[in-house]
Amino acid sequence: MTEISDDGLALITTLKMAGLTTFFLMIIGTPLAWFLAKMKSKSKVFIEAIVALPLVLPPTVLGFYLLIAFSPQYLPGQIWQEITGQQLAFSFSALVIGSIFYSLPFVVQPLQKAFEQLGSDYLEAGAMLRAGPLDRFFTLVFPMTKASFITAASLGFAHTVGEFGVVLMIGGNIPGETRVLSIALFDHVEAFNYAQAHTLAISLVIASLVLLSMIYLLNHRPIKTEKVVS
Amino acid sequence: MNSLTLNIESTKDQFSLVINQCLSFSGIVGIFGHSGSGKTTLLRAIAGLEQQVKGTIAFNEQLLLDSKNKQDIKAENRNISMVFQEPRLFPHLTVEANLDFAIKRCHHSSLAKKDIIELTNISALLGKEVTELSGGEQQKVALARAVLSEPSLLLLDEPLSALDRQSKKELLTLLKTVHQKLKLPMIYVSHSSEELQQLAEQLVVIERGKIIESGDVHQVFHQLNNTQLIKQQTSLSVKVVEVNNQHGLVKLAFAEQHIFMAINHLTEADKLALAQFNSLRCYIFASDISITTIEPTSSSIVNQLYGIITKISQVQSQVLLTLTCHQQTFFASISTYSLDKLSLSINQAVYIQFKASAVRTLTI
Repeated sequence: MTEISDDGLALITTLKMAGLTTFFLMIIGTPLAWFLAKMKSKSKVFIEAIVALPLVLPPTVLGFYLLIAFSPQYLPGQIWQEITGQQLAFSFSALVIGSIFYSLPFVVQPLQKAFEQLGSDYLEAGAMLRAGPLDRFFTLVFPMTKASFITAASLGFAHTVGEFGVVLMIGGNIPGETRVLSIALFDHVEAFNYAQAHTLAISLVIASLVLLSMIYLLNHRPIKTEKVVS
Repeated sequence: MNSLTLNIESTKDQFSLVINQCLSFSGIVGIFGHSGSGKTTLLRAIAGLEQQVKGTIAFNEQLLLDSKNKQDIKAENRNISMVFQEPRLFPHLTVEANLDFAIKRCHHSSLAKKDIIELTNISALLGKEVTELSGGEQQKVALARAVLSEPSLLLLDEPLSALDRQSKKELLTLLKTVHQKLKLPMIYVSHSSEELQQLAEQLVVIERGKIIESGDVHQVFHQLNNTQLIKQQTSLSVKVVEVNNQHGLVKLAFAEQHIFMAINHLTEADKLALAQFNSLRCYIFASDISITTIEPTSSSIVNQLYGIITKISQVQSQVLLTLTCHQQTFFASISTYSLDKLSLSINQAVYIQFKASAVRTLTI
């Protein structure tokens, strides 16, 4: 197998991991953000702190604890093995689960902020027109906070692509399975293969720049639907 | 007749609302109170938007809330709609899509969208974005949207408080028309005695979370003359006899006599309003009425009525006279100096006089 196809494989793994992670993050993050936005009790701060932890912790700390949890000696790893018949640590599934924890704040925080800003005025107006909670969410909240959903998904995706510490700890660098771009780049550097490293690095920089520019462009556009009547 | 039975208690941030009242809807029910009196909380409790309400609420036979038996019908299932102080039109939808939002969720539609659009005069706005509309236009759309949801009870929470006088007049007329045409029970909450005087048939007054007065709107306003809650006034409904454009006067029927009201300029909308409603709600501030003991034969003051003093109440240097003239009660505020000078007493016959410009209304 040539070096290029190895990198290609890493790219596919990375995109697959980031795509799946983003998908699950939106499913988990949206209700969590909603819950936090509506929560009034004092324990809210504590949950917010837990969600924000990956922002401040070295990724290796998170990776270390996940590695332990995923190992067959501990409960989460055991449950996984019993259900799927496979070991969780050093698998692609472990990468996705790890990434969900790692990128959670990037999805939850923008959504929570958007839900808080939206307030309850429009929801009450919807209820007064016979719209139930799910109806209100999909016909009022979602369209009015669409930009924040795009931001959350993009940030979640981009941040997962750029992940290194967690995947290094729990991934195991298996080509086609857990070998992602950031690890591939590290391998090239270790092997003094600077030309290859450079190609990978610059493409990651450009791709991230394009993605982020698109998010900011979207957020800087005046979006009338985000205006909340005070 | 539709009726709403309230037996509720709600405590929030050291403010408590305690209401035990049965309201029957023979006309629009008005709720009057100053800010912080609890009137909006009461309306939100009826709508099901307020948490932590204890007790029972029943509309006709249907129990909406029975906290003891853990029954609390959700706001969206109460068959009640509400127009808020701010229009709350959905900004991501056009005007028409806002109306459709209500229609789509109304399971037994009997109203035609076209008719309501015509009635509320918003056909020119349908394709517009919500943000392009003026405040008055937005509130008209909000009213149309609430009506198209076909509730069995419509709640209005100070819907005119952010509007200018012209839009206010227009919407008041519209509300009266909607009520008249659709026979839709309505509760109108406001801190403006002027708006309620125009709209409400019955008035409930709330102060510090409790009902302090309720009954016929004119009678309640007259009761309130003894409080600090409103500017002392005479409140009355009168029939329009004729409009004299040359002199800028409207002639109003009063027993066998007439009362004249001054008008500046009648717009087309004013003329329509006059033609549509056979009686006009008016009010005269007590400070605008004066008393003479002998018949004023050559005065520029056009309204002179012969009445009897039924009550004299004095607060510091001001005196509030209650007078009766052809079963109508009038209120005049005079100084203690005048009281002494004219040596007025109860059961004395006097002339009540007020200028045509002292007769006020929000209809035209």
